[in-house]
Amino acid sequence: MEMVELGGKQMEIDEDGFIQDPDQWDEAVAADLAKTEGVDDLTDNHWKLVHYLRDYYLEYNMAPMIRKLCKQTGFSLKEVYDLFPSGPAKGACKVAGLPKPTGCV
Amino acid sequence: MDLITVTREEGLKFSVQLRGHVVTTDMSVDEGGEDGGPSPVEYLGVASGACLATMVQAYCDTRGYTDGDVSVSLTLEMVDNPNRVRAIVLDVELPKDVPEGDREKLKTMASRMPVPATLRDGPRVDIEMF
Repeated sequence: MEMVELGGKQMEIDEDGFIQDPDQWDEAVAADLAKTEGVDDLTDNHWKLVHYLRDYYLEYNMAPMIRKLCKQTGFSLKEVYDLFPSGPAKGACKVAGLPKPTGCV
Repeated sequence: MDLITVTREEGLKFSVQLRGHVVTTDMSVDEGGEDGGPSPVEYLGVASGACLATMVQAYCDTRGYTDGDVSVSLTLEMVDNPNRVRAIVLDVELPKDVPEGDREKLKTMASRMPVPATLRDGPRVDIEMF
C-alpha cells in the first residue's frame, strides 16, 4: 500500500490506485482520481455516473452490474467507455471511491 | 468442426490455428504476459460480439434494412473465486430503418444465436491430459 495526496488529503491506495477507505472520498478526491485515469475534467455526465455508483455502493455495499448502471444512467456501453476509457469497473468505480472490482479483464 | 490447435510462441503467448487462419492470444503485462494479443477470456467476448453482429446483420440484409450497419459494443463483467465471467454485456446498434417490431423480435432471436445459446446452456467441457 502507498500513501498519496488526493483532494488535499493523505490517503492509502492499493497497487492499482483504488483508495482503501471509502469514507475519505469527496468530490475533490474524485477529481484527482480521475486525472490518474486520464480524465482531466469531470463533466456533468462523468458526475452522473460517479454519483450513481457512489449512491448505489452506499446503499448496497457493492457495485451495480454494468447493465443496471447503463439502464439507470441512460448511457450506452460505448458512452460509458467514452467517459471513462478504462471502463466502468476499473475507471468509474475507482473515481467514485469504490473498492477495486474483482476479476482479470 | 475442423481441428483447432493452440501452440506456444513464447512466454504466455500462444498461436491458434484453424482452417488456415492464425490468431494470437496472450496475457496482459499485469498478468505475466506481454500483451501480444487478446487474452483467452477476451476471445469469449469476441466470439459473443461477432456472433451477434454476424447473425443480426444477415437478418437485416435479408429484410432489406440498409440505413446503416450493425455494430456491437460489449464488455465482460468479471468476478473472483473462481475468476470467471459473470456477465457478457452487449449493446447492438441496428440500422436506423429497422422497425420497432423487428427490434423486439431480434432481441428474442439474439439469445438463441449459437454463441449466446451455448453459453446460456453451459456445454460439457471434456478434457484429457496426455
